[in-house]
Amino acid sequence: MQLDRRSPLRARLGAAACVLLASAPAAPAAADTSTDPAPGASATQLELSGLVYGEKGRTDVLEPTVRVTRLFANGQSLTAEAGFDAMTGASPTGGVASLRTQTTTSASGQSTSIPASQVPTAMFRDQRESFDLGWSVPVGPFTATTGGHFSHEKDYRSLGANAVVTLDLLQKSVQLTGGAGMNRDRVDPVGGAVRGLTPGDPLGTAPDPKRVTSMLAGISRVMSRRWLAGVSATREVERGYLTEPYKVLDVLDPATLETAQQLREKRPELRTRTSVLASSTWHFGDAGGDVGYLNYRWYTDDWGVRSNTVDLKWRHDLDDRHWIQPHVRGYSQRQADFFRYYLVQGEPLPAFASSDERLGPLRTVTVGATYGFQVPNLPGEWSVRAEYLHQWGPGKLTRPQAAVAGGDDDGGDAANGGTVDLMPAVHIGSLLVSYSIGF
Amino acid sequence: MRTRMARTRSALAALLLALAALASGCAATIKPWDRDLLAQRKMKLVPSDREAATDRHVYFSKEGSTGGAGVGGGGCGCN
Repeated sequence: MQLDRRSPLRARLGAAACVLLASAPAAPAAADTSTDPAPGASATQLELSGLVYGEKGRTDVLEPTVRVTRLFANGQSLTAEAGFDAMTGASPTGGVASLRTQTTTSASGQSTSIPASQVPTAMFRDQRESFDLGWSVPVGPFTATTGGHFSHEKDYRSLGANAVVTLDLLQKSVQLTGGAGMNRDRVDPVGGAVRGLTPGDPLGTAPDPKRVTSMLAGISRVMSRRWLAGVSATREVERGYLTEPYKVLDVLDPATLETAQQLREKRPELRTRTSVLASSTWHFGDAGGDVGYLNYRWYTDDWGVRSNTVDLKWRHDLDDRHWIQPHVRGYSQRQADFFRYYLVQGEPLPAFASSDERLGPLRTVTVGATYGFQVPNLPGEWSVRAEYLHQWGPGKLTRPQAAVAGGDDDGGDAANGGTVDLMPAVHIGSLLVSYSIGF
Repeated sequence: MRTRMARTRSALAALLLALAALASGCAATIKPWDRDLLAQRKMKLVPSDREAATDRHVYFSKEGSTGGAGVGGGGCGCN
């Protein structure tokens, strides 16, 4: 069986796959009307996947998921997904690298010794269980999808719902999409929540829930016999406790630029995000030809973060049963207005401050490839994706010579004249294996 | 602040222009018998929903930006 052979069942399964995350539909349905399954037909698809993710010297994640989609004869579909994340390793505390060996203590009380000139990290271990349900109902040219979400971690619980309606126009050449979603998440930090920009004074009460509302509008259309294009925009408003409960911010001695005190970070309790995503898919050559996928996303929020993301995938069919898809992605981010690598003792405290590198001037480059295949005489399809992510930022701190001479005698900083990287490069590898079968 | 607002306005204007172009009749309506290439499974704006979901999760935990493609979905304490 050819991977690309038109299959009415797969066409419907592909549409149903959009249900869980209530995402913008993949594309206008093209020729779906000519290949709908016979009345009375129903089918089930099972998809298993496993993600292995590792950051060099930091976090490791293992994430198996299972998704079942049931298609009913009346065109409706029901999708259920369960996932489990096992996370362990070290996470940056938010502190700056020191000339001396540092000791950090995680929320669970585990101590870690940080060598001189390395970004401080704290060990952690957590797991996350997630469940998603989605239901899709076609009514004439409209398709309504609704979904629900629940996930649980040691210190975080998320509950959400969403709904999206799509409208097919002009013989399914154009598809309009509109949707909304809401989440109500509860943050329950280990050891209790603390007041921001204090050394750790207890908040005294449970933190406010994190309430997220989001809206989506989009259009996608067939531009030519070999070209699909789409634009979608989302607006998301987050309210409540948005501070990272374990991150600290170093207050440096102005003379030595060594850490004199550590405060907990503090973020605003409101964040409004706006994203616009433009997507284009182009088919080259004849039926077995290559396909290119190009995406660009523009993002801004009222914390001052702005980013540009470009994502390019290129699919090449090796034969009827094997294909390969190289992938490259570039990401560039402007720092949040209240991002600080550190504070300086004696200077007035700002209203908000965070040294979380994810709010800093961050860059990410991703390269990788997916290999898809079918095993002869066995049902189902496999895909294996391997990727490398390189993430870095420009921050550096140079300490005065007197401080360099007084540091640990391990040579590292002295050799660099006391300069340390505040956002050193992070090397990340991931492997995603998926298997899907219909019955 | 003014520069940021100007940039936001420019971006929204570009979005409206793109939406108008996509919604207009300037692109041809492809007849069903000419949709052989479009009907292939690989002809989607999102080639793999599984990979897309994994990417949303990974980049949400590693970067400051999110959104553009969907609403709702999994909350996470990772960011």
